[in-house]
Amino acid sequence: MHGPNPRSVFAAAIVAAILVGPAVHATVVLPADLGDLSRDAIAIARGQVVDVEVRWADDRHSIVTDVTLAVESYLKGGLGPTVQFRVPGGELGRLRSIVVGAPEFAIEERVVVFLGARGPMVPYVLGLSQGVFRVSRAADNSGWFVTPPALLPSAGRTVAVVRGDVNRRPMALADFERTVRALAAGAR
Amino acid sequence: MTRRRRCAAAIVTAAALVLAQSAPAFAYLKFGVRVGSRQIALKWAQLPVRYFVNDQSSVPGVAVSDFQAAVGRAFAQWQAVPTSAIAYQFGGLSAAVPGQDDGTSALGFVNKPELERVLASTSFLVDSQSGALIESDIFFNSAFAWSVAAAGETGKFDLESIALHEIGHLSGLGHSALGETELRADGGRRVVAAEAVMFPIAFASGSIAGRTLKADDVAGISDLYPDGNFAGDFGSLSGRVTKDGQPVFGAHVIAFDPNTKTMVANFTLTTQGEFTIGGLSPGPHIVRVEPIDDADVESFFDTSRQVDVDFKVTFHDHLVVVPRGGDSGVVTVAVARK
Repeated sequence: MHGPNPRSVFAAAIVAAILVGPAVHATVVLPADLGDLSRDAIAIARGQVVDVEVRWADDRHSIVTDVTLAVESYLKGGLGPTVQFRVPGGELGRLRSIVVGAPEFAIEERVVVFLGARGPMVPYVLGLSQGVFRVSRAADNSGWFVTPPALLPSAGRTVAVVRGDVNRRPMALADFERTVRALAAGAR
Repeated sequence: MTRRRRCAAAIVTAAALVLAQSAPAFAYLKFGVRVGSRQIALKWAQLPVRYFVNDQSSVPGVAVSDFQAAVGRAFAQWQAVPTSAIAYQFGGLSAAVPGQDDGTSALGFVNKPELERVLASTSFLVDSQSGALIESDIFFNSAFAWSVAAAGETGKFDLESIALHEIGHLSGLGHSALGETELRADGGRRVVAAEAVMFPIAFASGSIAGRTLKADDVAGISDLYPDGNFAGDFGSLSGRVTKDGQPVFGAHVIAFDPNTKTMVANFTLTTQGEFTIGGLSPGPHIVRVEPIDDADVESFFDTSRQVDVDFKVTFHDHLVVVPRGGDSGVVTVAVARK
């Protein structure tokens, strides 16, 4: 936790002598496909989560989570061997702030994150959870895969996104990275 | 043909052919909060819900009075649902800023350029002992261009449509998976149709298609705040979904009424793969089960839940009759992996 006694921020609410529980958020988003994310990211990193710190935001009015990633590889850009980024929400004391659509991270999990930044601020994940892909080992131990299934750009034609499409499955990590590098380099 | 009718026709055809892979769906989820060892629905304990409008809430083309009027229309639409007791009261203009936990439910514009793909967001303060809402704020991201024009404006997002969605959240409804999207030839993804206001992806700027509540929204708000003889006049459909004999979590289950041409849906929400869809009109229903493999799963479920998206769209092999004021009895749908 950083800064002076952030609990005072909630004084007004607690004055009501009501136990304050989780704060919950919900969102309306603009969707992004893998091409949008690859183009818009200032950095795309694959790595392992090594730290998750929940803290009060600088405005003292909201809870945020700073996530530290030990980077294995950059697919675009470069922010050093470890990179820290911020996501909204988190659990601090008896307060829990949840942003529907915002990603949550656990130490030791492997992820690919698409990061944005504006000015001096801590990098953030593009499109909330749209900019996070989880890396997990296949059930048969045959290799690493990326979930959720990525929505690839439509290659110059408009196509319906069909639920249950047998072709939309978790992508092998190597294929995913090859695709992202190409998209980041300008391919659509 | 209206969009709803087109959607309905699509799913009927798919059912008949037993091979279609795409049809719009209708669903609702409720927010839940843990109170002690219990998980309960997040809802207002006292009605009407009193809200305030931030007195600095304006952007180019939208004055404070315009903002107040637009959100007022959205509140009125939810309140007009005849089978729901939900009610709201405008408390006046206020200096309260959305997102500040001050005991005042406030709506207004806030500039959040770092949330470059988030149009609006709702936040809650919750009494952790009872689970009742104390306060709920809605911010609209002024980093985007907004409109309150009756017919919408090119390049600007419709404030009333987005407010209608967020007020659903403010009332306790979660996201719905009831929408259909496409990847555009020139890049990006857009909503083609959404049969629930609570679908998490916005229509494109300039569109006012999201200004009207759908059957799924009505079922959801009526389930949360029932009024009249909602329980007696409507019914439910319940069952479970399995794959290779094992329960499936997070499957999207849709109940389509071919008589009313309406659909309501829910998800399998237990470790046993069980689902219940409430607020259904009595009579026969077509049941369709689909994976949300095109969605940002984390906008529906928290990451601790392993949502299964590796299965094919499946229809139950016969119509299911929903009784008036009762439940269908357990329907089991076995899906096959892709």
